[in-house]
This record gives sequence, structure tokens and C-alpha cells, in this order.
Amino acid sequence: MTTTYERLGAILSRDYKLTPEQLTRDAPLEGLGIDSLGLVELLWNVEEEFKITLGTEPVELLTVGDVVGYIDALSTKQTGAPKAGGRTEAASLRVT
Amino acid sequence: MRRVAVSGIGVASPLGNSAAEVFARARAGRSGIRRLDIPFASRLVAPLAATTQLDAEEHFEPAQARMLDRFSLLALFAANQAVDDSCRALSGLERERAGVFVGSGMGGTLTMDGGYKTLYGDGSDRIKPFTILMGMHNAAAAWIGMAHDLRGPNMTYSTACSSSAVAIGEAWLRVASGQLELALAGGAEAPLSAGSLKAWEALHTLAAIDADDASTSCRPFSKNRSGMVLGEGAAMLVLEPWDRAVARGAVIHGEILGCGLSNDASHITRPSVQGQVAAIRAALRSAGMEPQAVQAINAHGTGTHANDCTETAAIAEVFGERAGRIPISATKAMHGHLLGAAGALECVLSLLAMKHELALPTMHLQVPDPECHLDYVPNTARERVPARTMLSNSFAFGGANAVLVLGAGV
Repeated sequence: MTTTYERLGAILSRDYKLTPEQLTRDAPLEGLGIDSLGLVELLWNVEEEFKITLGTEPVELLTVGDVVGYIDALSTKQTGAPKAGGRTEAASLRVT
Repeated sequence: MRRVAVSGIGVASPLGNSAAEVFARARAGRSGIRRLDIPFASRLVAPLAATTQLDAEEHFEPAQARMLDRFSLLALFAANQAVDDSCRALSGLERERAGVFVGSGMGGTLTMDGGYKTLYGDGSDRIKPFTILMGMHNAAAAWIGMAHDLRGPNMTYSTACSSSAVAIGEAWLRVASGQLELALAGGAEAPLSAGSLKAWEALHTLAAIDADDASTSCRPFSKNRSGMVLGEGAAMLVLEPWDRAVARGAVIHGEILGCGLSNDASHITRPSVQGQVAAIRAALRSAGMEPQAVQAINAHGTGTHANDCTETAAIAEVFGERAGRIPISATKAMHGHLLGAAGALECVLSLLAMKHELALPTMHLQVPDPECHLDYVPNTARERVPARTMLSNSFAFGGANAVLVLGAGV
């Protein structure tokens, strides 16, 4: 079973041509070339991939791990279980 | 008014992606028009186009490439090349006095087409987040300004097929008048979306495919013409005061001497002799020149009956009995009609033709047309044409005419 992290990593690798070395949980999104505008697009693709709907509340996601946590939190809330079937990340969302 | 030098050239076009490549192909009469090889081609009456070979990911970081509609990609590539070609024209520049002037008729039409497909074709409300910023007409100019830290006017002109001639003319005025010390000026177009292709087809202006050789399907000034062929591409110029270019030892490709604008004010598509004559005369006036100074012309030359006959009549009226002795090149036979980028590409070709002292050929001129009785340099480049002053004509739907006066820069 692929994890949320692996599925998110596949999107990032496809869209941003990231190498496995660049792609870590702690990697800051800005450092990968994903600014706040890029994040909007990334989350649009996340909605497509994970079949979840983003909330309307503002969130601050700074690292790859933050996004993983956000996806898992939404998946749990919307379907009762993390979409990926993998372990749930501790959501580290900063509401702005 | 100050003299304005062209000190950098960048192109991405169906004839190649460098000035040298484009000029070599044009000189040899090699056409960039092909059968259009896309899945949607089966739904087109005549799937023809002049495409540009340029891949975003080869030239730009993925994060940026994802935000570039193809017209912005082509524009930014051409602008970067023009800056590279300019021998450090941006060095020591007061950035607030450097501007960007881009012409585009259809802007990010591929992006908008994708959005409409999602909405209406797929019945989905999932429009991509970058649709607006990729589709907007001023995206290309904005990316160029950001890439080169050009903080002065960042302008986009959309006057259909004269857009980039207008952009170059407006940039020329700002540099000549002393308002700006540098301008990146030109145009970009990427009109080969399904919606755009069908819309152009519906207007009955596009060429039929030549059964023997599709690359010869566009035939300006030839009696057996059947219409225009859409093309994609971009061309950008670095413009700066002549004295600055000379002082810093730049390689000068030529000179913008003037620009004339007019409007037909008569019909939304049908061109007018009177309007075109007015634009040519306005251009000459702006350059402080008499018609006798013009030694060659790059025609608008789309390969439609309406254009070819009207343009011929306009040239005949302005130049009188001398009209038949002026070499006229219609290069769209080779690179197709780049719409809002056409004027810029043809300006580049004209400057290079003067530099090499030749007249580029009007290819596929197979059957002389009694209504088009001038010297169109048919089918073979003419060597030893030492023109020092040329016109580049751009005439657009909406009656928006723009004529550039170009100098060899000597």
C-alpha cells in the first residue's frame, strides 16, 4: 500500500522534476520552487489525486511533511480514514 | 528625437530558434509549414500549421515552466536570447528607464481553450488554478520584465495581426523621445489550440493543403493562392539609443527609423487601400523620409486574395511608377502567419536581409496574378540588393495598420 507521502512525492516528482535526494519530509516547499502560488496548484492536484476537498480555512504549509499531514487530516475528516491507507501523519498545520 | 539601434535579436519560429538559423532557411526558401500532426487534426478541414520546435522543460525550471502558456514560453525564450545577443545591454542600466513592449493577438489562448474544454467539454468545474495568470495577454511581458529586472513600462498590445509591429513602434517612440534608455520589444503568438483553429477555419481564410507538397500551401501574390496558414512563434528585439549602443561597442543589427499607424475605420476584416496608404505615409513622415528612400519592402503578404490585392494597390499608390522596381518579399509563405508575432519576425527578417544585402524570396509564387503586378522576388532570394531602408508592413483585422521603417544601421 502506498503511503500519502509516496503519492504526494509522485506528484512532486512529476510536476517539479525533483530527484529522490531533494524529496524529503523536511524539505521546505519554497526550496523546491513551490511558493504560495505554487502551493495553490499543488493542492489542486492533491484534490484530484486523493479525491478530497480542501477546506476553506487558511492553512500554512511550509514543508512536504506539512502537506502530508494536511492531506491525512482532511482524508480522515472526509472519509473516516487516511486515503492512502498508510499511517496517519501528525497534522502540523499552522492556521494563519 | 534620438536614433534607435537594434542591438539584440531573439527568435523562436517555424524557421528555427536563432537569427542565423531563421535567416539561412528564409534565404534558401525553406518552408516551415507542415501538415499539423495533432490528434485534433482529424476534425480540421485543412490541418496545416507552421509550428515551432521548443520544449519548455529544456529551457526553464519546472516551477516556472508550469506557469507559462506557450505564448509566454516563446516570448521569454526570444527575449532571453535577445538579451544574450545584446552584449550586455542591460549592464549599468537605470532599470526604471527600461521597458517591455509585447504584441500578441490571442494571448494565452491554449490555456483558455483547456479551461473551456474542462468546463464545457468534460462537464467539470475543476478549472486549473493557473488558468488566469497563464491566459492573460500581459503574461508574456510580465515574465520578461521579471526575468531581466526591467522596471519601466510593461506594455502589451493586441491589435490582431499588427500587434508586434505596434509594440516595436511604440517602444521606438519611447526610446527615440528619451523617455526610455532601453526597450525589449516584439511579439509572441501560440494560436494552435483546437478552438482557435476551428474559429479561423470558420472564417474561411485558411489555405487548402497542397496535395503534392503541404509546405507550399501558402502562396502570397500567386493567382492560385488559397489563404493563410497559422503559425506560432516569437521575436524580440533589444532597442536602445544609437549613441549608447555605439559607445558600449555593441553589434548593431540595424535601426528603427519610424513607425506609422492608421485605422481603416471601414470594415472589421476587409482591408482598405486608403487605410494602408495612410499607414505607409505616416511611417515615412515619422522617419522624416520621402517615398524615394524606400528600397525594399517586407509585405504583410498573407496569401489571401483580399490582402494581396489591397496591399499591391496601396504600395502602387504610395510609390507610383517606381512601385514596380521595389523588391517586395512576402515571407509568410515560409513561416506562416504568426498573427500578433508576425510583424516582429518580419522586422527581424528585414533587418537581416539588409545586413546581408539581399531580398528574401516570396516562395510558392507559381502563377502570376494580373491584380498583383509588382516585383515580389518570386521563389528565389535575390542577391546583391543593397537596401539601406525598408518598410515592414503589418495590416490587421479591425483595420489596425502598422508600418515600420527600418534602416540597415550604417
